[in-house]
Amino acid sequence: MSSVFSRLYVGNGAFDIVGKRTRWYIISGIILLVCIGSMVFKGFNLGIDFEGGTKISMPSVSASGQTITTSTVEDVYSKALPGKKPNAVQAVGSGASATIQLKSPALNIAEVATLKTALAQDTNPQGGQTAISDSAVSASWGGEISGKALWALFWFFIAVTVFLVLYFEWQMAVGALVAVFHDVIITAGVYSIIGFEVTPATVIGLLTILGFSLYDTVVVFDKVKENTRGLLGLTRRTYAEASNLALNQTLMRSINTSLIALLPVIGLLVVGVGVLGVGTLQDLALVQLVGMFIGALSSIFLATPVLVDLKMRDPKFIAQAKRVATRRAKATGPQVAEGIESVDDEALNADLRKEEAYAAAASVPHRTAKAGDARRRPTGKRQR
Amino acid sequence: MAPPAGQIRPAKYLASFVLIVVALYALVFLTGNGSAKPKLGIDLQGGTLVTLTARQEDGAQPSEEALNRARDLIEVRVNGLGVSGAEVVRDGNNLVITVPGADSEGAKGLGQTARLAFRKVIGQPVPAGAVPQTQTSTPPSGSASTPPSAPPSQSAGSPPPSSGAPQGRPAPNLAAQPSSTPPSSSTAPSSTAPSTPSAPSNVDPKVAKEIQEAKALRQATDPQILQQAALMLDCSQPDPLRGNDDLDKPLVTCDEKGEFKYTLAPVNPPKEDTQTKADDYTNYSRLTGEDINNAAANNNPNGTGYVVNLDFKSEGGTKWGAFTSANVQQAVAVVLDGEVMSAPTIQSAISGGSTEISGKFTLKEAQNLANTLKYGALPLSFDSSEAQTISPTLGLQSLKAGLIAGGIGLALVFVYCLFYYRLLGILTILSLVLSAVVIYAVLVLLGRLIGFTLDLAGIAGFIVAIGITADSFIVFFERLKDEVREGRTFRSAVPRAWVRSRRTILSADAVSFIAAAVLYIIAVGQVKGFAFTLGMSTVLDLVVVFLVTHPLVAIASKSKFLSKSSLSGLGGATREGAAHRATSTGKTTAVKEA
Repeated sequence: MSSVFSRLYVGNGAFDIVGKRTRWYIISGIILLVCIGSMVFKGFNLGIDFEGGTKISMPSVSASGQTITTSTVEDVYSKALPGKKPNAVQAVGSGASATIQLKSPALNIAEVATLKTALAQDTNPQGGQTAISDSAVSASWGGEISGKALWALFWFFIAVTVFLVLYFEWQMAVGALVAVFHDVIITAGVYSIIGFEVTPATVIGLLTILGFSLYDTVVVFDKVKENTRGLLGLTRRTYAEASNLALNQTLMRSINTSLIALLPVIGLLVVGVGVLGVGTLQDLALVQLVGMFIGALSSIFLATPVLVDLKMRDPKFIAQAKRVATRRAKATGPQVAEGIESVDDEALNADLRKEEAYAAAASVPHRTAKAGDARRRPTGKRQR
Repeated sequence: MAPPAGQIRPAKYLASFVLIVVALYALVFLTGNGSAKPKLGIDLQGGTLVTLTARQEDGAQPSEEALNRARDLIEVRVNGLGVSGAEVVRDGNNLVITVPGADSEGAKGLGQTARLAFRKVIGQPVPAGAVPQTQTSTPPSGSASTPPSAPPSQSAGSPPPSSGAPQGRPAPNLAAQPSSTPPSSSTAPSSTAPSTPSAPSNVDPKVAKEIQEAKALRQATDPQILQQAALMLDCSQPDPLRGNDDLDKPLVTCDEKGEFKYTLAPVNPPKEDTQTKADDYTNYSRLTGEDINNAAANNNPNGTGYVVNLDFKSEGGTKWGAFTSANVQQAVAVVLDGEVMSAPTIQSAISGGSTEISGKFTLKEAQNLANTLKYGALPLSFDSSEAQTISPTLGLQSLKAGLIAGGIGLALVFVYCLFYYRLLGILTILSLVLSAVVIYAVLVLLGRLIGFTLDLAGIAGFIVAIGITADSFIVFFERLKDEVREGRTFRSAVPRAWVRSRRTILSADAVSFIAAAVLYIIAVGQVKGFAFTLGMSTVLDLVVVFLVTHPLVAIASKSKFLSKSSLSGLGGATREGAAHRATSTGKTTAVKEA
């Protein structure tokens, strides 16, 4: 009963997350400052898509089964294109997928063709010339993708804010957006600090983190909304306590969801790095690994505390909190973390009645049509 | 006793799901070509992908019409490659050319043919002097390897017999533009050109500076400077003015093979120089590729070799007539993106618009020139933003890696679900598998209907969506646990948990869908594929949760065997629920118990 795991599993409000919110604010504030500082002073390690250039990739095994070394490739390059130098030549991947990747300043179409022919002749890779892939990107392309992504980000925020305000309330919209901004900045900051290469795929990944982080927050807020329905009329618990209870009740869900979402991403990363070497898969997986992890943390430690702080500025909730305190002072009544009853039984029952009515109405024509229906019903009753 | 609240008929939901699956797969196998394979992107099947971005000198937004026309023109060229399955898709200001297969590199040059203009040649062409080897710029239509015939020897103009024919032809939409308002039509920057170096945000400042310097020298209005520029010009270097030349000014440039240097007159007359000033080369209206109706390579009717027959639209014919009559025995250069493609001499005034360009053309050269004249008339200039050729082996590897990643991800999720939820875990797995079944069918169908291609980013989208799909189940199951913990039986907990979690699932999926939709509408390139798969799996997730997971859980809850707590993984919650019952019955009377 008292182990951390069973507290987690049962979710009876045993972790006081909302109460210690100042601590979380300070921690995330410090991390944010570090990230912003790194972005401002250190910047990003931008990939070929942002600076422009040509990338060639070819099997690192020759048709005769020998390994092609990176220095051979470099020699072929300087012979085929006198006066030019590749930026980097590296061997990546493993097994049958092992490749040599060559990055070079931008080459035009004729130069790429010359280089590919020379590589095919001199190194004779498995599969011949058609096995050599190339990719040329103009310096503005990565910028365009990112520019569009920023626009998408902007409209995304507008759309989501409208949705959250309509579905929940503005305080929740603010809480959710604070958490999302936090996630984006920290993820970008991690990229800047560690110096991971930023590619368009990274930018894509960053955008999906937004969706995921919000998704996570919405689930928690939904529970908060449920727990605080009709709260003002009661003196059972304050808004902060009700939110904390909601957090605890959804804590296991948050952890499960994040784990389950992270597991495939880890698979993606392992395959992306281990088999293919580098590329879209790895870039996407890396950014999501970082972002989802932070997203899960922020929906627990940031979104709800911010919501509570905003709510507690409302005189109605302050007054209610006082009433709760006076009641507690008088009575030696039940403690905060005493139970997990729901507050919205009324609403739920109404929903269930409606459901039943729909089910009944919908199934009338089917009654006669389906003989199996009639037969199945008694079996169900017997089992009860 | 608790009332049998919210009884559903699970069989009905399951049946409708089966119906959907059957219908989808019937469509997959019975319509189209019946092959149950989704359309794969270039990065998965190998081939060439070229993204062309429309380039406006003044940085303005290209018109829809111009973009669509450019798309159509490039599509004609792509089909000219003779590779099956090639496609040109418009994506905002970009045209994305995809050509599958190993032999697809020809697609890279397609977007290069761009703005065609006619400029009068001033003086004699000068041999380039520099060694004309390894030219950096390839001819637009891909092959001009054979040695050239000397440009000055070409001649143009003997009015062919069919000269009367084109006059009655109605001028199609675009043809009217250039002559009515010459300086402000869509192809050139007009009056603002001489001032600031048109600096669109996406041009490297260094490049912009080079262009500016080249313009100052090679597009000077002072003939002295032009002469100087003609001497200094090195045809073996890449040309910064390529596609950036100012049509309103003279131009010193090379021909496409880098063998001769030309000094050319402006395309447009200076503003003050209106229609009838009868002196020099400026006396004609703008004449560009848009004025050309058709061009074709034909056998030379008066001898050996080939000629190119050129046919102007009626407006263009009038302009061409005015131009040729003012410039008999002068050379006119066909200039494509600032490069001279051909410079025939005008033999006589040509009215009516039908023209024959003769010279020592081989068939290939004649066809190239005809293609340039006809299709070079793109209404916009394009930059190659991205050009990649993926070898089929690399594509296959990527596909395999993506599938392996998805497989590993799913397997990890399965293990976790089984461990944590036991029986419910099996239901989760079943639901995930079924949702994969539906997604596959939808992928195949969308590939057929709207040409949706699955690329690597799309696969990543699906893998990420596994998390979101599984989460719907988790939200439901955790609610279920809450209910059981409050003291309900598994059976009576199901409908209550469903009603509550349904709302959460809907709102959370709505957020996820909004994210995907916004991304899809606004983003470009790979992002689109990613957003599409993410949004699609969000929608299908709802279908599966409503039609499969919930009914299955409902069925399980009614079976005595399946709802045993050791199987359902609800043991802890049940114990907690029992404790809760014990305390609360003592305290309140509100709890109804069975």
